[in-house]
Order: sequence, then structure tokens, then C-alpha cells
Amino acid sequence: MTKKTAFWIFLIGTLSSAAVFLWATYDTNRQIATLSHVDKLSDEVVAGKRVFERHNCNDCHTILGFGGYYAPDLTRVVQRVGEDGIRFRVKHPEQAFANSWRKMPQQNLSDQEIADLIAFFTWVGNVNNNDWPPQDSRKRISRGEQMMVATVGVSPGAAVFQTKGCMNCHSLHGTGGTFGPALDKIGAALSAVQIEKYVKNPKGVNPKAMMPSQKDNLSERELEEVAGFLATLK
Amino acid sequence: MEYRSQKIAYWYFVAALPLFVLQIFLGLYLAFSYTFTVPQSVVNVFPFATARAMHTNLLVLWMLLGFMGGTYYIVPEETGSEIFSEKLAYLQLFALLAVGVIALVGFFFGWTKGRPLLEIPPPLNYFVVVGALIFLFNVAITMLKANRWSVTQGTLLGGLVFLALLYLFDIPFYRNEVVDWYYWWWVIHLWVEGAWELVTASIFAFILMKLTGVDRQVVEKWLYVEIGLFLFTGLAGTGHHYYWIGAPRYWLWIGGVFSALEPLPILLMLIDTMNHIKERKNPIVNRLTWTYAVGCAVMHLIGAGVWGFLHTLPQINYYTHGSQVTVSHGHLAFFGAYALLNLMTFYYAMPRLKGIEEYDDTRGKYGFWIMTTAMMLMGLTFGVAGVLQSYVERALGLGFMTAQSYMRLWMGATFFIGLIFLSGVLTTVTDLLTIRPKVRAQA
Repeated sequence: MTKKTAFWIFLIGTLSSAAVFLWATYDTNRQIATLSHVDKLSDEVVAGKRVFERHNCNDCHTILGFGGYYAPDLTRVVQRVGEDGIRFRVKHPEQAFANSWRKMPQQNLSDQEIADLIAFFTWVGNVNNNDWPPQDSRKRISRGEQMMVATVGVSPGAAVFQTKGCMNCHSLHGTGGTFGPALDKIGAALSAVQIEKYVKNPKGVNPKAMMPSQKDNLSERELEEVAGFLATLK
Repeated sequence: MEYRSQKIAYWYFVAALPLFVLQIFLGLYLAFSYTFTVPQSVVNVFPFATARAMHTNLLVLWMLLGFMGGTYYIVPEETGSEIFSEKLAYLQLFALLAVGVIALVGFFFGWTKGRPLLEIPPPLNYFVVVGALIFLFNVAITMLKANRWSVTQGTLLGGLVFLALLYLFDIPFYRNEVVDWYYWWWVIHLWVEGAWELVTASIFAFILMKLTGVDRQVVEKWLYVEIGLFLFTGLAGTGHHYYWIGAPRYWLWIGGVFSALEPLPILLMLIDTMNHIKERKNPIVNRLTWTYAVGCAVMHLIGAGVWGFLHTLPQINYYTHGSQVTVSHGHLAFFGAYALLNLMTFYYAMPRLKGIEEYDDTRGKYGFWIMTTAMMLMGLTFGVAGVLQSYVERALGLGFMTAQSYMRLWMGATFFIGLIFLSGVLTTVTDLLTIRPKVRAQA
């Protein structure tokens, strides 16, 4: 091979890749409005994005998978913990993370700033991004559930509990989240019917409840199974 | 040292080294925070986010200072002329350091742009642009005046211009988060898998040429092929960051196919390096510099090539995206491709700038092996933590903190290996700053 051949390899390689890349960039910019629902990109959402950046949230949390890996991904945070859950964590991190071995700083945000932040997360949560992240994907999680029943041999109710995000807040045998109460002995306090009613609509039972309703997250069968499982924990 | 203005490089290197040390201290704080509980009162004042911003910006700063110093060292020899203006070069060094220090102090007080890795807020980032323009002007004028073009020079200048242009995509505020990430990667990905590769490939080619004495025509021929492959795979390979951001679905194909080829140019670089060394016309004088050259080529392939390939396909990346797997890859790749390249440049140039023909490399050898071994181990511990996270948090869906509790042991191991890495860095930096001639045994 001569130096001249090498030069042509360089030139053709670079230009062909650049052509693909620039064409795709052009096309992406055309499609992005639809994929990201630009019609819903309000000033409030943008204000929320500015709050998110001003407080450097993105160097602990990822969003769309990018950023710091120290804290949970925020792409579908509204679906996962609900608006009240976000408000409580941001406003009172010292309470929300009192039992957690990892803390979140107090950012002293105003109520308006928190509302903007929630608007921003709500908008991001609806971006059509090929169903990522897997932990918040309906499709993936039901497969995770099947996997647990088949391979680990847990009961279907326990599999629902573990894969439907309950453990983001609640723990069993010391494993899991610390926002909600540990559920090791919940069966001693509540019956399966009571648990099912509560999980469906926590605020209906206790107006001060922080827990988001799981009516849309769980199917009737899953509700029944998880309530049945929890009622056995005594 | 053949040209007086090459001395500029020395001060760039001296400025870069303490930043490297500081970067590691912050890294240790990050690993510590993953393993142990940092109390609320401390987190409120010095959160993880601030430490991470410092850790990554220090990395970028010392890397760029190393590249710029390397450029100031190479350009006089390549062009056969002095640098256009030494004063401008020192002014630019001072400006860049000032911006760096102000930015770091600013982060501590919450002054940030809030975009990961690109936290330097306006108007400070305008000064970065001005500094880059001064640098480019100085280098370009030197090359134009000398008018003795070579592939090495062209690649270097091309890479530096590309690097500066890409930074401009950091400047605007993007209303749309999806668009924001789209162009964020034009800076981050096209830097590390485009512009930086050009700059370092050219520095590497220069040093190989000088060390081995292999004919320029041969080295530069392969340089063409390498940068051609780097850009062919790297430009469209940006797509591997667009899988899950809300970009069209065809990016899964573009990103997957092009980035699966990304190890090729790095493999070629390694083969090429080994061939040049085998066919060397010069004797091996300073063995450690050669060790760095080979070490850089090998670790570049492992960290950037192999580790990148492992999680670049969409089917795998769906689970590993944004987990500690990325961290494992990031550390190995930056260390292999860029940290070792800079250190190789320092070990090549600093003794020469001090008029030392043969340097004492006893301490330096320990430094190299401690750092490289520790980094390889850290790559593994981060990697294990990442695989655990991908499985427990993503595949099974057991929640973020549940996964973190399983990973805690491995992040703790990383912290302790980090201490060993620090000892290697301190050895290397001390050795470079106090490099001394080899004392020959009295006959």
C-alpha cells in the first residue's frame, strides 16, 4: 500500500461516515418534535429544566441514562414515585433519607421551583425513547416477574412485589427502600383485602399517605397476588 | 531540545501534573461516598455532584494542558521553526489555569451550568473559547509561516480545530432535553472518539517516529489509515449514545454497526506500534518511555476498544446504559487512551527539555506498574458492580437502592484500590517533576 492509497482510505472513510451522520442528524431534527412531544414543551417545563441544571442534579442522577450514577435515574421518576413522592424527597431530604445510607442534599427550593421541576420530569417521562429504562418498562418488568417465578422459585405475589417497584420504597428483611415502612410484619396488621384496598388508592384510606396509587401500575391479578403475598408476612 | 520555544511545553506539563493528583483525591471521595454513609450535614455543603464535577473537569483540564504542551513541543521540530509567539503561549496557559481555578472554586459555591462534564458556566466558557482561539492562532501561524507540511502536522492541526469547533455546541441553552443530549454528545463523543483521537494519534506517531527511527513515510502512511478508520467508525458511531434519548429508531442500527467497528483502528494502532518497535533503527535508551508507548497502545485497546465493544450493541446497552458498566469503561478508556499518552509525552519530552539524555527510571517504573495494575483492577471492580446493577436493578427490577447494597462491597474495593492507584500517581508525578540523569556505575 502506498501513502496515496492510505490518503484515499482516510478521505473516503471520513466523508462517508460524515455523510451518514449528517443526514441522520438532519432527519432526527425533523422527527424530534414528534418523538419528544414538543407541543407539550411549555415554559414551565423549560423553567424546570433550568432548576434541574442550576442545582446540578444531573451530576448525581442520570436522566435518559446520562449524568451521575450515584442516585436513581429520573427519566420515569413521575411514574415511579409520583408527584407527591418527588415533592417530599426534594423538600425534606433529611426526612426522606433519614433511614437511607445514602443522602440527598437539601436544595432549599421554593414550591414554584419544585412544581416546575415536576413539570419537567413529567415531560421527559413521556419522551418516546424505545422503552428505556428497563426497570420502569411495563413490558420488561412482566418478563422480570416471569423470570423470578421460574428461576428463583418465588411465589407470583412475591415476584410482583419485587419487580413492580414496591422495593423502591419498602423493604423486606432489610433489603429495599427506606421511604415507606418495612413490610416484614404487615400481615399481622392488615388483611389481604385491606392491603388491596390501600394499594389501589392510598389517599382514599389515609389522606396523608405519601404512596402513589398503584391502580394503573398493577393489573387486577397482580393486585390480588401481591396483597395475598403480603398478608402472609406475620 | 532543539528549539528554545519548546520550553513552553515544560510549563504546560508542570501545570497539568498537580491537577492529575487533585483529580484522584476527588475520585477517592466519590468512591468513598458510594461505600460509606456521608452524613446529611456534609452532603448539604459538599454533595457528590460537586465532587464529580470537579473530578471530571480536572480530568479534561489536565488532559488538554497535556495535549497543548505536547503540541508546543512537537510543532517546532516538525516545522523546523520557533513557535510564532512564546508570550501568547504563556498568556494562554495562564488564562486556561485561571479559568480552571475559578471554575473549581465556583463549583464549590454552586456556580455551575449543570450539564454533566460541561459544568463550566457562562461567561467562563467564553474564556475557554478565547483561550482555544489564541492557541489555534499561535499553532496555525507557526505552521503556515514554516510551510513544511507533514501528515503529522496536518492531523494535529485538524484535530485541534475540530476540538475547538465542537466545544461551540456547549454554548447555547437547549429548551428541549432530547436536543440538549443530542448536541451534548457532539462535544463529548466527538471529542473523545474524534478530535482527541486525531490529536493523540499525531502525537503518538511523532514520538514513535523519533523513538524508533522508523521512516516517516511508513509511520505517516499508517497514520492516514488509522485516522481514517477512527473517523469512519467514530463519527457515525456517535449513534450509540442516541439509542434511548428519544431519537429515531434507526440510530440503533447506525450506532450498533459503526461503533462495533470502533476497536479496529485501535487494534491497528497496537499492531503498528509493535511493528515499528520491532523494526526500530535506534537503540532503546530510555526503556520506560518505550514501556509507556506499548502500555498506552495496549490499555487503549482494552479500555476503549474491548470494554467499549462489550456494551455498545443496543441489546446489551439497554441494560447497562447509565450503570457502573459505563463507569468501568470510562475509567479504563480515559486512562489507557489519554492519561498514558500524556504521561508518555511527558516522559519523552521532560528529560529532553532539561537536557537529560538518559534518565533514572527506577521510580518511574514503579509508578507505571502500580498505576496500570490498579486501574485494571478498578476496571474489574467497577465492572462487577455494573453487571450486578444491570441485573438486579434493570433485569429483575428490584429497585435502585437494593442494587446499590449488593454493589457496595465492590465500590468499597474500588476505594481501596483507588488508594493504591493514588500511590502510583504520586510516585509518577514526583518522578516527573524531579527527573534526574541516570548515574552510570563507575568502571
